[in-house]
Amino acid sequence: MTDTTQLRAGKSVRLEGVTKQALDIGRNRLILAGCLLTLGFAAIAGRVIELSALRDHNEPAIPTAAADAALQTGRADIVDRNGMLVATSLRTPSLYADPGEILDPTRAARKLTTVLTDLHATDVETKLRANRRFVWLQRNLTPHEQYRVNALGIPGLHFMDEWKRIYPQSALMAHVVGYTDTDDRGIAGVERAFDDVLRDGRAPLHLSVDLRIQHIVRQELAHQIARFEAIGGSGIVLDANTGETIAMVSLPDFDPNVAGDMSPDQRFNRATLGVYEMGSTFKIFNTAMALDAGTVTLRDGYDASEPIRIARFTIRDFHGENRWLSVPEIFKYSSNIGSVKMAMDVGTEGQKAFMARMGMLKPMSLELPERGYPLVPSPWRPINTMTISFGHGLSVSPMHLASGVATVVNGGIKRPTTLLKTTGRVIGEEVLKPATSEAMRKLMRLVVVDGTGRNADAVGYLVGGKTGTAEKAGGGRGYARKSLLSSFVAAFPVNDPKYIVLIMVDEPKGQKFSHGYATGGWVAAPAVKRIVERAAPLLGVAPVDMDAPEIRRDLLVDLPDAGGKRLASF
Amino acid sequence: MRRVTVLWFLIAACLGVALFLVKYEVQDREEKLAALHREILSNQEAVHVLEAEWSYLNRPSNLEAMVRRHLDLVPLDTTRLGQIERLPMRLPVLPGIDGMVPGVGEASLADASLPAFAPPPPLARPLTISAKVRQ
Repeated sequence: MTDTTQLRAGKSVRLEGVTKQALDIGRNRLILAGCLLTLGFAAIAGRVIELSALRDHNEPAIPTAAADAALQTGRADIVDRNGMLVATSLRTPSLYADPGEILDPTRAARKLTTVLTDLHATDVETKLRANRRFVWLQRNLTPHEQYRVNALGIPGLHFMDEWKRIYPQSALMAHVVGYTDTDDRGIAGVERAFDDVLRDGRAPLHLSVDLRIQHIVRQELAHQIARFEAIGGSGIVLDANTGETIAMVSLPDFDPNVAGDMSPDQRFNRATLGVYEMGSTFKIFNTAMALDAGTVTLRDGYDASEPIRIARFTIRDFHGENRWLSVPEIFKYSSNIGSVKMAMDVGTEGQKAFMARMGMLKPMSLELPERGYPLVPSPWRPINTMTISFGHGLSVSPMHLASGVATVVNGGIKRPTTLLKTTGRVIGEEVLKPATSEAMRKLMRLVVVDGTGRNADAVGYLVGGKTGTAEKAGGGRGYARKSLLSSFVAAFPVNDPKYIVLIMVDEPKGQKFSHGYATGGWVAAPAVKRIVERAAPLLGVAPVDMDAPEIRRDLLVDLPDAGGKRLASF
Repeated sequence: MRRVTVLWFLIAACLGVALFLVKYEVQDREEKLAALHREILSNQEAVHVLEAEWSYLNRPSNLEAMVRRHLDLVPLDTTRLGQIERLPMRLPVLPGIDGMVPGVGEASLADASLPAFAPPPPLARPLTISAKVRQ
């Protein structure tokens, strides 16, 4: 080939120049095209290597996604503090029919009602004759029912899987966990408060509630309600140092699995939504307020011999001692007159500021939609100061009371109450002096050792508390003397409080065995005692020798003039 | 030139066959993987159902009823709880009596009418276990 080119070149110089030029152009274009193609292929090869070898160190994206696929239940579980299931979602079959495929509606309906006994043959038959392609027959069947329906072999019946919210604990956690509607949306309780979290998350929601303690509280509360023919009640156990709710019961309650069937009374959460005038249990706050303000010391006292008359009211003691009483005696005998005088010395503004500091004037900080708004007097007159000193005229929820008592006894540190399990230290806000808290612990122990709360003295667990018996505000003006609200709030062990127990019974009636009394000391205190006795071993609180000298020293109250040992039943 | 072309055709054919085989192998394995994932999911669902049932059967009220029916347990009261520090002192190890309970040997040496388990003399140091061990 080169020979002929040279031969031709030798023959004609002019031609040679033209040919050479053409060849050069051709060669250049060829090189250019080759370069472009090479670049293109190199780019593709590079991309292939990048995709297959470099990105994520593995080839396809599909298996990675599949490997992560865990069970999606549509709604996360709720578990108690020990991991026991409180609410979960299960896939359940729902039965529907395509009436077009049904051959003999009468026969099919009759056969079906032998298996699903809730259904009526005539209703089913009308549904099966409907001129549609889809009718629901029964939602959320059990696997056994599904098997039996399949065994009937009726054509035209089909199943569709649906997620159903199941509450294995039935009524036990009713007011804590709440319930959902048919579309799995939270309607009440924690289900509502954490609706977004539950709907997104796969990780279970850990509550602070301990099912075992919850059961004990519910059982003892129900027992007292039945014994005293009461209309309801609530029971609360709080961790005094973290603000965790260990148990929260409101009776009557309901089964969240069949939430549609309940009455408004069952749905009403007495522990957090109901606000009540709590009565003498408020003297814990009144005494703490006076001690903290420094207007009295444990050695001071007031003359409680004369009833106080203001406007059209007369404030008297129910079993008055009719003499000068020291502050510990005022607390022990639950003297209204003494409490009023203590509050008046602090003053209206001081009391209002103190109640605000304790969080008694605002709804609770609690993860529930059912939170009652306290009924606060407005304007706050001196008469209100007087009545609030013994727990009337300011209505709060039982949860407010329990959380306030936790603040009083735990060294004066206010922590938000929570329904979620917390770990580690909870930062709080100091609202009382530690010395006030210590004095209050002694006074609360005094009530149980030698006062109105003797029925709550669980041996070994150093219960300290305060009884309360409030007359409920009647229909019109004034108070109904016969409808009471009996409560007992306790802290144990009182020398180093770990837990707060509150039992409140709504409208107990006096019984023969209680000599006609339906007071906090008779109704609520025994329940608190049994709750403490049963729950303390589960909560890891060891009993102590109550006669040990160091414990006696810790709880000693120096009574300036310990006179008669008569008891007030209030 | 002809030989080179044949060689290239051979290589292309081999690659084609290999690609075909690999493709089907991958497809097969992906199906297996998907089946495994389905199985894992159905197992997880079964576990989930069992957990719900476990919780249901472990309701405190249910447990309490069963304990009442089948066991002789009674509520724990404070008289049944104690502290390790309050246990009586440790029994002394008597020399000379091997493998025998102290007290028994002592009694057999003495009068037979005496109770077999005579109270042993206390040791100077009480038996204590530190708080850390107890937890």
